[in-house]
Order: sequence, then structure tokens, then C-alpha cells
Amino acid sequence: MAGKSPAKRKKKKEKKSTNKPCRFCVDKIEIDYKNEVLMRRYITDRGKITPRRITGTCAKHQRELAQAIKRARMIALIPFVKIYYR
Amino acid sequence: MRAYECVYILDASLDESTVNEKAGRFGEIITSRGGEVHLVDQWGKRKLAYPIKKRFEGAYTLMKFTGGNDILAELNRVFRFDDAVLRHMIIVEEHPQPAETPASTSETVEE
Repeated sequence: MAGKSPAKRKKKKEKKSTNKPCRFCVDKIEIDYKNEVLMRRYITDRGKITPRRITGTCAKHQRELAQAIKRARMIALIPFVKIYYR
Repeated sequence: MRAYECVYILDASLDESTVNEKAGRFGEIITSRGGEVHLVDQWGKRKLAYPIKKRFEGAYTLMKFTGGNDILAELNRVFRFDDAVLRHMIIVEEHPQPAETPASTSETVEE
């Protein structure tokens, strides 16, 4: 047991330290709800918005992205939930 | 005066002349109220991500315009009473371009 816990702690630390740069900051991509291909890249296969701890998007762009995804859903470019293919 | 962006989805079973006629009618609503239409972009027929009014396909049109908010009320009313319009969305354009340039974003969508 005693040997296990430090290893666990190490794993947690490693997770935190992985730093992905925000794609929108680096490449200066404009977030647009009409860009279906881009919107699809930031939703899960269930249709949920991917959290930024996974995508590495910065807070500012994640807010913009969330707004854009919701707009794209409104005009049926991307699904609210993906349940029709089951 | 503000810049707006409007996307509406028409029934895909309509023929092209009707779609064009409707686009003209919606444009007229804007211009008759002192607004200005900058861009009308027809994306053509696309598959919907989920069925709307039991239809799986729709004809998309993007419209960019400037004008007062009385246009929005009228436009919303007309869209709602038109049975051919499956869905519409009007948003305030965040970064309106001063000069008229064909939007590069709409090109990527059409791929």
C-alpha cells in the first residue's frame, strides 16, 4: 500500500503538467458557427461539447466555441444528441 | 443600425425559382424598412443533423444585412408564418466587415 500511493500522486501531477497550446490562439482560426467541420471537431461522438481540459482550448476561445456550437445546433448543422443512428 | 446575420432553412422539396422568389421577398422586407442587404448566399440542399418538422433535408440560405430592430420583428413574424421555412436564426454579427468580401467561411462549409 505504502508503495502504491506515491506512484498515484505522481500520475496526477503528470496529468496536470501536460500543456497543450490553444489551437485558436496559435493558428488564429476564426470561430464561426457556419464552419461545420470545425464545430464537429469540438463535440464528442455523443454530440456534447468537449471540455477544454481535453482539447486544450483557452478559456476565452472555449466560451466563443460553446456559443458557436450552440448556434450550429440551432440550424441543424450538428446534432444536439446523436441518437438517430442507433 | 446594426449588422445582422440570418440563416433560414427552407423545405428541400421546393424548386429553385420558389427559393429565389422567397429570398427576394425576405430581402424586400429589409430594404423597405430602411435596411440594406449585403450578402445572400444559398448553400443549397443539405442533410439536417436532426429532423425538423419530419424533414431530413433543407435548403439553407445565409443573409447578411444592416438595419434597425423593427426589421427583426417583422422578419421573425414572416418566418414564423411561412410554412416553407423549417427553421430560422437571426444573430448580431460580431465582426462586421466594412467592405463587401465574399465570406471565406461559407466556402469551407460547402465542401
